[in-house]
Amino acid sequence: MLFLQSLLSGILTGGVYALAGIGMSLVFGVMNISNFAHGDLMMLGMYLAYFAFTLLKIDPYLALLLIMPITFLFGFMLEKVFINRVINHPHQNQILLTIGLGLIMSNTALLAFTSDPKILTTTYSSSAFNSASGISVSVPLLLSFLITCAITAILYLFLSRTRTGMALRATSQNREAAQLMGINVAKMSAIAFGIGTALAATAGALIAPTYYIHPLAGHSFLLKAFTICVLGGLGSVVGAGVGGVIIGVVESMASTYISSDWKDVVVFMLFLAVLLFRPQGLFGKKGGQ
Amino acid sequence: MIQHLLYIKRLNKHFGGNVAVADVSFSVEEKQIFGLIGPNGAGKTTLFNCITGFYPVTSGDIIFDNQRLNKRRPDEICHLGMARTWQRVKPLGSLTVLENVMIGAFSITSAVGEAEKMAIEQLNIVGLSDYATKPAGSLPIGLKKKLELARVLATHPKMLLLDEICGGLNHTETDTILDIIRSVRNKGTTIVFIEHDMKAVTSICDRIVVLNSGEKLAEGTPEEITNNPDVIAAYLGGGHHA
Amino acid sequence: MKKQLTIIAIVAAAAALLPIIIGENPYITGIMISMLMMAALASAWNILGGFAGQYSFGHAAYFGAGAYTTMIVLSRLNPNPLFGIVAGIIVACIIALVTGSIVFRLRGHYFGLASIAVAEIVRLSTLNFEFTGGAQGILLSDVSLWGIDLNSKNPFYYGMLLLLVVTLSITVWLGKSKTGYYLQAIREDQDAAASLGINLAFYKKKALLISAALTSVAGSLYAVYIRFIDTSAVLDLRLSIEIILTAIIGGVGTLWGPVIGALLLVPLAEVLRSNVLGDLLVKLGLVSETSGIGIFLKENLAHAHVLAYGIITVLCILYLPKGILGLFRRVK
Repeated sequence: MLFLQSLLSGILTGGVYALAGIGMSLVFGVMNISNFAHGDLMMLGMYLAYFAFTLLKIDPYLALLLIMPITFLFGFMLEKVFINRVINHPHQNQILLTIGLGLIMSNTALLAFTSDPKILTTTYSSSAFNSASGISVSVPLLLSFLITCAITAILYLFLSRTRTGMALRATSQNREAAQLMGINVAKMSAIAFGIGTALAATAGALIAPTYYIHPLAGHSFLLKAFTICVLGGLGSVVGAGVGGVIIGVVESMASTYISSDWKDVVVFMLFLAVLLFRPQGLFGKKGGQ
Repeated sequence: MIQHLLYIKRLNKHFGGNVAVADVSFSVEEKQIFGLIGPNGAGKTTLFNCITGFYPVTSGDIIFDNQRLNKRRPDEICHLGMARTWQRVKPLGSLTVLENVMIGAFSITSAVGEAEKMAIEQLNIVGLSDYATKPAGSLPIGLKKKLELARVLATHPKMLLLDEICGGLNHTETDTILDIIRSVRNKGTTIVFIEHDMKAVTSICDRIVVLNSGEKLAEGTPEEITNNPDVIAAYLGGGHHA
Repeated sequence: MKKQLTIIAIVAAAAALLPIIIGENPYITGIMISMLMMAALASAWNILGGFAGQYSFGHAAYFGAGAYTTMIVLSRLNPNPLFGIVAGIIVACIIALVTGSIVFRLRGHYFGLASIAVAEIVRLSTLNFEFTGGAQGILLSDVSLWGIDLNSKNPFYYGMLLLLVVTLSITVWLGKSKTGYYLQAIREDQDAAASLGINLAFYKKKALLISAALTSVAGSLYAVYIRFIDTSAVLDLRLSIEIILTAIIGGVGTLWGPVIGALLLVPLAEVLRSNVLGDLLVKLGLVSETSGIGIFLKENLAHAHVLAYGIITVLCILYLPKGILGLFRRVK
């Protein structure tokens, strides 16, 4: 029973991680950039949900309709103003730039909102469905998971059915060839970064009702998002989705059977194990580059 | 008995479902200049990458100097005496021309002074002495190709794999490079030579293998190859004039 | 090579005289120790990042390994700090060897990512284990070496100076050795390097080991100097980033870049941390100490130095990617 319980909550949390992972993978695929500000963008989403709830009295899930377009624009602007200027630089410069942007975001949040953790308490925050067999499902986690599934489905349709989506995928497969075929790769980069940002912020908003909201909260999610991407194969959107769920389950199992203090260590060990045994990821083709 | 330095035996290389090299066999005699030709996408560079350890082979054997090369790392293969150049030149951009060649020389000596002396020697041979202190990244393409050559020569290889070393060069530059290659062979180095320029190949090679779509299409002396109807068809089909 | 070593010797001799000129001033000496330490850390990082082009984003792991091992050895096994330093080097090298063996077979973004993962594993483990003092950290009550007064700051000033001199000398030596040339070849083009007979994984590991060992010595000295460590002081990601930033601002791959970076960044951080700016505004009468802005500055400027680091990083990458020394000469 304990096993089923932790499997279930692992899958539900993992769904939200998957969203963050997909955002990072999309950016990596289209722009070949490791975005170290991804965790801080999640933190941004957490605060947006918090303030939408406390100041505007909007339900955090409903607030996504506001948060997503706002953060998409924010990401689009970040790319236009900063990221695209290093797109042909050595990748360590790209990493450092995103680290710098992340530091600016997290420490501005620290100055503006102080280091006191905030808690977003909705009427249903601690409510749960209890089955006869003794398994309980937290309502906010379940809602988050369902919303994640819906967003992932929409994203999938967008990438496979629309012109822009197909152009994004073409850029992801081969930037030079896409450019030769008349695709505006600069615009695609900005769109990819915008979507990546919106997905990170959405993931942040979705976990806001169940986590402490803190300016430095993004750091632990950053490495999780990387683990997800590497697990799924860097740049693979589908892989990131599955990777997210796996990480959620591993983390949940580690909490149950080892200790919640060690769950992150287990996740990062898994990261190293993937690099050691399957660097191309579970679903990746040939890797190593 | 003829001494063969390199044997390629039924070599296959697949990328996922794509067959890049299909069941190719040939062998190279010592001190030969051996040409490897074929239209774009014929699998020539892939073959080089397999031989020099950059790609794992799918099946087949590569025997060099009585050693099996499959599963060896590129640096080990270099130490066994096989050196290569790159079709897309790879200068160590922020190092000087001299330092680039010293990197090659370090494979046979650990002493900096010694390496420098050997590097200067090689620069004299290819005629780059005047550029010794320039950053390698700043050279024009013709000189970068010469640098590639000097750098691998400094490893004192038994066999040299040259991947389109004359690509993008004009006639005089090509002739200089071909002269260098001849003199290197005369000093005892075996050479395998990928080239598009049929004239360059037929003028310098002792023996030629033609690849097409990953398969061996023909093998023989330059005269045999230029008169082979399959080869002519493949080259015309591939848009190249023999 | 001789010329560079002579310059190092002259600069070191001048630096050695500074405490005598300044006299007994613990505050100033403390800042100078921090500068020397950051300079040594950034120079040690530079051996891997500047020569081999392998950017470690988790060097705090090696600093922390030195600091924690030293503290544990000193408080439980042997009160001689030298034992602690040597033990720290061994632990740091083991971590480096494991990291290197896993990651250096791979190319591209992996080393950067894995270096953070390893650092986080080290940090979280230290936080969770009991023998490392957990969240409380480790406090050291007494320490002695050859009758030197370790309650004074001067021995640590000279210790850090010696470490910096050793690190810089190794950098100079590397620049003129086969290993140094090989590392630069790896930085420039890994395929070309491998085809010229360079065992990529071996040389990257060698650079990482040298860098990790020197970094751990800085950690050991820091631990004995402060006599209190916890994970947020010696294992935090922020420290790793400060180290890189120091090297970048001065100039990655240059001999003096990391030193110049430390000379600029450490005082800047100190100014922000100690609220010198806020005090100045109050003294000038621009802001009242009890006004909203005055209180805000007093309470929050301590965090602001990390914000400043973020802004400097972004500006530096966009406008000065080769650092201050990059303005003057070719990266060498």
